[in-house]
This record gives sequence, C-alpha cells and structure tokens, in this order.
Amino acid sequence: MEYLSLFIKSIFVDNMVFAFFLGMCSFLAVSKNVKTASGLGLAVIFVLTVTLPLNYLLYEYILKPGALTWVSESFATVDLSFLSYIVFIATIAAFTQIVEMVVEKFAPGLYSSLGIFLPLIAVNCAILGGSLFMQERGYANVGEVCCFGLGSGIGWFLAIVTMAAIREKLAYSNIPNGLKGLGISFIITGLMGIAFMSFMGIQL
Amino acid sequence: MNTNSNTYTIIYTTVLVVVVAAILAIVSSLLKPRQIANVELEQMKSIMLAANIGEVDGQPDKTAKYDELFNSHITSTYVLNEKGEKSDVATENFKESKAFKADLKSQFNAIKNGGELTLPVYEATLDNGEQVKIFPCYGAGLWGAIWGYLAVKADNKTIQGAIFAHASETPGLGGEIASPWFYNQFDTKVLESDGQFASVKIVKGGANGNPNGVDAISGASITSRSLQTAIAQWMDFYKAILTASVESIPAMGLIPVEEAAEAQEAENNESVNAQ
Amino acid sequence: MLNKMDKDIYKKPLFKGNPITVLVLGICSSLAVTVQLKGALVMALSVTLVTAFSSLFISLLRNTIPNRVRIIVQLVVVALFVILIDQVLKAFSYDTSKMLSVYIGLIITNCIIMGRIEAFALGNKPWPSFVDGMFNGLGYGIILVIVATVRELLGSGTLLGFRIIPESWYVQNGGFYMNNGLMILPPMALILLGCVVWVHRTIDKDLQEK
Repeated sequence: MEYLSLFIKSIFVDNMVFAFFLGMCSFLAVSKNVKTASGLGLAVIFVLTVTLPLNYLLYEYILKPGALTWVSESFATVDLSFLSYIVFIATIAAFTQIVEMVVEKFAPGLYSSLGIFLPLIAVNCAILGGSLFMQERGYANVGEVCCFGLGSGIGWFLAIVTMAAIREKLAYSNIPNGLKGLGISFIITGLMGIAFMSFMGIQL
Repeated sequence: MNTNSNTYTIIYTTVLVVVVAAILAIVSSLLKPRQIANVELEQMKSIMLAANIGEVDGQPDKTAKYDELFNSHITSTYVLNEKGEKSDVATENFKESKAFKADLKSQFNAIKNGGELTLPVYEATLDNGEQVKIFPCYGAGLWGAIWGYLAVKADNKTIQGAIFAHASETPGLGGEIASPWFYNQFDTKVLESDGQFASVKIVKGGANGNPNGVDAISGASITSRSLQTAIAQWMDFYKAILTASVESIPAMGLIPVEEAAEAQEAENNESVNAQ
Repeated sequence: MLNKMDKDIYKKPLFKGNPITVLVLGICSSLAVTVQLKGALVMALSVTLVTAFSSLFISLLRNTIPNRVRIIVQLVVVALFVILIDQVLKAFSYDTSKMLSVYIGLIITNCIIMGRIEAFALGNKPWPSFVDGMFNGLGYGIILVIVATVRELLGSGTLLGFRIIPESWYVQNGGFYMNNGLMILPPMALILLGCVVWVHRTIDKDLQEK
C-alpha cells in the first residue's frame, strides 16, 4: 500500500516538471510533436528507473557517513558524502553512454527512434534531481527507490506528452508575434503547473 | 597521439578521476571543521531560541553568541528510550553529550518503523531563574523535512517558546513556519485540553481564545498539518516525563499503538474539517 | 586582450543570444531560486563562476579529451567546481547554502554550462572560452534577477529582505494593499519568464518565431 501511494504521489503530486520544474530544457526543446516527445519520455522513464536504485546502493554502501563498515569496522568514521554529486552524475552519464552503445549495436531500429535522446538525458536535470531528492528524503529501501524512480519517470513522460499535444494545437492559434513559440510555451507550462497544484490536496 | 585508443581513454579517465577526487578530498577535509561548527551552532541557536533565550522582541538577536548562551543556560541533557526511560544524563560538556549528538532524522525513522529510540531532552535555566525542558521534533513536510524545538515550563504544560525550520518548504507559504510571527504564537500556549495532556493544534483561526491551538499558515495547510503531526508524534513520547515522574511509573511511556493511531487520525480529520 | 571582432563574445549573451530567453538553456534552476532576490543573486554568481572556470578548464584540455568519454569528462570537471562551491558555501555562508539546498547540486546539469562547453570551449582558446562562459553566466543572471525582483517585490513587498512597500499600506494595518500570493508559487516564475520573453522579442523583432 505504501509503495502504491509513493508511486501515485511521485507521478502526480511531486511531478518532476510541474511541481519542481526539473528537466525543463529538454521538456521545452523536444515537446514540439507528440511522437518525439513520447520517445524522450520513454527514455527518461527507463534511465530514472535504473539509475536511481544504482545511485541509492552506491550512496548506502559507499558514500554515506559510516557506510563502509561492511568492508571493515575501522572505516566507521569515513564520510565520502562530499563525492555524492560526482558519483551520481558519473553513474548517470556512464549508464546512458553504455545503453547508447548497446542499443546502437544490437537494435539499430530502436536506436534510430530512441538512441538520439540518450545523450540529452545525461544533462537532464530531472535525472540528477531524482538522485538528489532520493538522497535528501532518505528512502528506506531499494523497493521504495524503484517506485519513486518509476513514478517520477512516468510523471515526466505524462507532462511532456500532454505539453506536446497542446503545442501541436497551438500551431493553429492566433498568438501575439512576440509570444509565439517559446513565450507561450512558458506560460502554458506555468498554467499547467497551477493546475497540477490541485493534486497536492490528495491525502495518500 | 591517438586520443581514441582504448588504453588512452582508460588511462585518461583514471587520472582525471584520481586528480578530481584528491582535490575534493583535500578541500573537504580542510573545510570540514568549519562546516561541522556551523551545523552545531545552528542547533545550539535553535535550542536557545526555542526557550526564548537570545531573543529581542521575539526576533533572534543578531549579535548574540549562541554557543556561549547554550553553555551557560543548559543545566543537563539526557535521552529517553521508547518506554520513556531516562539515560545518558550529562551535566557538563553538552556539545559532546549523547542528546546533542542524536540525529533527529534517524530518530524519526525509528519512530515510524518502531525501533529503539534515544530522544534528546535539554533542561535549561532561564535568566529569570525558571526551569524549562526543551524537546526536539522532526517530521515530513510538504516537500522535505521539517523540524524544530519546543520549550516547556516547569509546570510541565505551559509552552515557553518554540522554533521550527524546514529543508525545502515553499518560501512565503510553508516556509513561514520558520518565521518569528508563526513560532512566537506558541509562547504561553498549554499542552492541555479538557484537563488531559494534548499536543498543540495548528488550525485555521485556531488561536482564537483556544489556549491549546495556534493559527495555521494560510495557503500552506499541508505544511501546517504535517507540523502538527510531527509535534504530536514526538510529544507522545515526551508525555512520559511531562505527565508523571518516570522513576515511579516506568511503564507509563507509551499509549498502545492502535490507540495512538486512532487519536492521530481523529486529529487529522478535525483539522481537515476545520479548513 | 580581445580584438574588436571578439566583442560579440560578451555582447551577445547579454541580449541577442541570451541563454535563457533565446537559447532556452538552464531554465530549471531559474525557477526555484527566484522567490527571493538573495537566492537569485547567489545562484547567478555560482553559475557564472562554474561556467567560466569549467569553460576555461575544458578549453585547456580540449586537445587531449578522448572523444568517446567526452560527456563524462565534461561532467566530472563541472561537478568538481560545483562541489567546491557547495563546500565553500556550507563552510562560510551556511544560511545561503541551506536556502539553495539541492539546487546547488543541480548546477551540474544546468544546460548553459554543458551547452557553452560543447558549442564554444571545445573549439576555442582558453581566454575567449573563459570570457564566453562568464558572460553567458551573466546573461543568465540578468534574467534571474529580473524575475526575482518582480516576485519578491509583489509577493512579499521586500527586496533583499528589506521592506519596500510600507507596513502601513497593508490591509491588516488599515491600508489598501495586499501581497500577491500567486507570485510566491513556483508556476508564476514560468509565467513571468514568458512575459520577459515577450518583451524581449517585441524589442528585438529578429528573434520572433514564425
């Protein structure tokens, strides 16, 4: 039950885009049509679900103050948490690069549709943000972290696909010249953010 | 030189990682004492401000030296276990005491998951000679953690003062729990309702003639409710030393878990209805 | 040290090639830290420092970086500077560090930094790269400060924590004024940013999208 509420919460209430505004750069750049938007969204779900538990394990067993006691009791005072940013981002970058190479080699079809987004993801703040929130909120076990990762990914996917759908319609609307394109996208994202705030009232 | 060969790539990244890690390790170990001192000073400041020590007109005194105030006002510190039993009493060198070193976050996790507790309590003497007990609390707010300290007078029910802080609540909304106008409301409130021990209620318009309630922050009902829950959760354990002397009735520590949960739920519903 | 042609390096990022409103880079952090002007200033300064120094550093290394692990090398260098700033803030300005919390860490993935490294520092000499990084950071800072000024003034009636709108104007003190609570909410930053883009593109018609 707890997993389910965490899952729902990370999709709607703590939505990466509308509640925290993370991953905005690629969100705005790639939301021009639904097809590419869903491609990037899927890639984000995949990378978040895998890198979050990875980073969680790294943090719990290597970086956290006193985490190295499983190697030897004498390491109880070692605190490597100052390295966490660099380890998190290296994990994410290495993972996306490996996936890119594997996909390119073994599934060229998938690569042509999904692979081009993978380099973009290494610098998507939603992914690193996920790891930083994970560290700050202190989830209890790998299960919770997986739920959080999957939920946040789906939340991001949902956000970019809805945005792309709206922008496809916008192409036919009459908008003041200065606002066309970027300006109106900002404002719409803001309005959607206000709409998503209503989910905060849900008791989970 | 071929910068694309495997050997070169591997050597290059290894050297880079080692160099970067070394720089960071040096910087981190140089700055560590200062960082720890900052965190400790912050904690001492909160404890002192909760008891309204070092406050001028309800605002923190910018010139006060909170570490000196802390050492001169605190008389003893100790920790409570889950049964409400005292241990590790310290009467000097409070900065090294078990109470001061206790990590509130791990205590909160232990409360949630039912583990062993070492809840810190500080006893202090005010400038006017009054004795107060200072209790921490910690909980989950809307975005991140919220925590604070509550000081209770010697009559074991009147609140001397309180202070709260948060990790990432919305500035101007939930973040207001850390503003003097909000936490100063707690001064002179009582931990009692209908003659029974009761935690503080944080509800809209709650301050109106209610000795047990304070005003919630408008626009931040979730943070207000979380804070109320956090205080109630921790007070459940501190109740033991506030309602009876621990030595005489050692088993008084806990109300049964289900009952506590029910009481909690009833409280939550009430605060929802009130809004 | 720069000849006349290079003047573009520092003129462009401030207006015509502004990283936020034209290149659409580094939006995430610009939203969370603009409720108060102080946070925005610290963030702008941190980003400027990180962009300038990581551009300089990558430019110095540009001929030695193996192409396959390029992104990782860049991220490691950026992360190095970000952690340094984080550690220094924690030690010397604890209050600010608490206020910015995870958003300092997120500078690593601020696309302005990676964007400038990829687009400029990898192909240019160290000094111009440094200047380019610095002015892009400043261009980012200008927008941050504009948005933060509006939000803090209208949302809390203060600037840098000092009261601008007199207490006596407020309704609860018998006046006529109330703070605009909407300004404090995060989505408002986006809407304001939209307005900044609108003004910017009305002044400079070349930037308008078809």
